[in-house]
Amino acid sequence: MTRIGLRLALAYRSNIVFMMVTLVAQVFLLRMIWTAVYGARTEAAGITLPQLLAYLTLANLQVFAMNTQVSRIISHRIRTGTVFFDLARPVGFMRQMTAFQAGNTLGGLLLLLPVVPVVLLVGSITAPAHLPGYVVTLVLGYAITVELALLISLIGFWTLETVWVAVLFRLVSQFFAGTMVPLAFFPGFLGALADVLPFKYMGYVPAGVYIGHITELVPTVLGELAWAAGLALLLQLIWSRAHRRVVIQGG
Amino acid sequence: MIRVEGLSKVFRRPRTFSGPFGTVRTLFTRQYEEKLAVDDVSFEIDEGEIVGYLGPNGAGKSTTIKMLTGILTPTGGSIEVNGLVPWRERTANARNVGVVFGQRSQLWWDLPLIESLRLVGALYDVRHFDKALSKVREILGLDGFLDTPVRQLSLGQRMRGDLAAAVLYEPPLLYLDEPTVGLDVLAKEAVREFIVETNRSGRTTVMLTTHDLADVEALCKRIILIDHGKVLFDGAIDALVNQPRRLVVELESGTRTYDIHDDLPGMVATIAAEHTIRDLSIVEPDLESVIKGIYAR
Ligand SMILES: Nc1ncnc2c1ncn2[C@@H]1O[C@H](COP(=O)(O)OP(=O)(O)OP(=O)(O)O)[C@@H](O)[C@H]1O
Ligand SMILES: [Mg+2]
Repeated sequence: MTRIGLRLALAYRSNIVFMMVTLVAQVFLLRMIWTAVYGARTEAAGITLPQLLAYLTLANLQVFAMNTQVSRIISHRIRTGTVFFDLARPVGFMRQMTAFQAGNTLGGLLLLLPVVPVVLLVGSITAPAHLPGYVVTLVLGYAITVELALLISLIGFWTLETVWVAVLFRLVSQFFAGTMVPLAFFPGFLGALADVLPFKYMGYVPAGVYIGHITELVPTVLGELAWAAGLALLLQLIWSRAHRRVVIQGG
Repeated sequence: MIRVEGLSKVFRRPRTFSGPFGTVRTLFTRQYEEKLAVDDVSFEIDEGEIVGYLGPNGAGKSTTIKMLTGILTPTGGSIEVNGLVPWRERTANARNVGVVFGQRSQLWWDLPLIESLRLVGALYDVRHFDKALSKVREILGLDGFLDTPVRQLSLGQRMRGDLAAAVLYEPPLLYLDEPTVGLDVLAKEAVREFIVETNRSGRTTVMLTTHDLADVEALCKRIILIDHGKVLFDGAIDALVNQPRRLVVELESGTRTYDIHDDLPGMVATIAAEHTIRDLSIVEPDLESVIKGIYAR
């Protein structure tokens, strides 16, 4: 299944390449805007301009790399009824789909790799403040992202129309991941909301660790672990309900 | 191999409302519509048999097959397949069965055929994938298009790909739900040959659903007929078709039919002595008319 995911990512490469153009453009625009916003100031909310630019570059790269296809695939398979083949396999559906997404991400990374230098050049990068911390928060963030995507796609077992859910999810998650504005700049209520939502782990948290803005690593990683474990549990629960529904109602 | 007893399946769907806020009402309704898709079905299939599971559209054939594969739970009755209860021991059962739903494909549309076969190899732990592949490749003649994306395959090629995916791990049981749907005469012939070959060489048990009675005549000794979820007939085709030929005579008073037993010239002479015969023909019993007769009852 991993291999299928990878091959599909490569099969749709023109799509991904097109999206990479948008990525580069977005990073460039953000750099322009934020440089203008800072003007003569050297720092805001404890973040210097070079830090901020590195943050924005990384956060956008991360969210791009973590873009999941699994919801689209699952909703398509439910609508066409091919999900019955997946359910007839001797391997669990959730395992198959997770493997698929892992392969798909890997394929995306292969395509993204040559573009990374361009993005870093158009944006800006600094040396990492804490590399192991960055890697750990990033990997956990990825796990959370996949779990969320799987959770969203399970809605398809109740209502066949999930396109709007996926679009909404994408918009909300990108905003609260902090790809345009770091969460540290979010005002009062919005900041609190962003803090309780898990989307920050896609962008803000790993990138914040990288630039040295987030320094309390232990609580951060623990919080992330808790989210990953909690979502895994929730996923199991919802999946078993979804599965029971298919088994009884036939989709 | 397969034992089904008193099997039934009721689908329960939320009632759909029309009019303003219909969708919202549908989402929140507690009212359901029930549909009895399979109704008290019993049969047994022995190892090595090829059985035709026939019935008109909506009869409940696919629903039965889905219950046999374990992806649907029966509402009532019991199923045992190769000693397992499919819906309870779904994983173990999955390894024993290969499924083709002719109307759908298990192949990944945008990838070369070989990738879907590799996936099947991995999911079913096929140890010697290359050996298994070369075997199906030969009997199904996949050589020209293993590396072609599935969306570019002709229907016949795609169906062969689906059959390959279903038998790659050599399951002792095959459920083929309309494996010849939409195929031309030659492609149908190829699928039939493949089924016969798989059945003979591997003692594979086959349960076949089709609307093409030529498939049935070429492959099955036994058929099970269902309609409205109920079994109407279960037995040898020979017994069905082994009925007397019929003599159809057009008389001045109208058309009459007679069963022909032995002395055809004598029969004709007797009729001719009493009536004026305008035309006459002999009708051979055939599966189609026999089956139509059963549905009509
Ligand atoms: N998921 C479902 N929910 C509600 N009703 C269903 C569902 N699936 C099938 N049915 C109904 O159950 C009945 C049997 O359907 P089934 O697909 O088993 O028929 P079939 O014999 O395979 O027909 P066909 O020859 O057209 O393929 C039909 O009336 C169908 O509308
Ligand atoms: Mg059917």
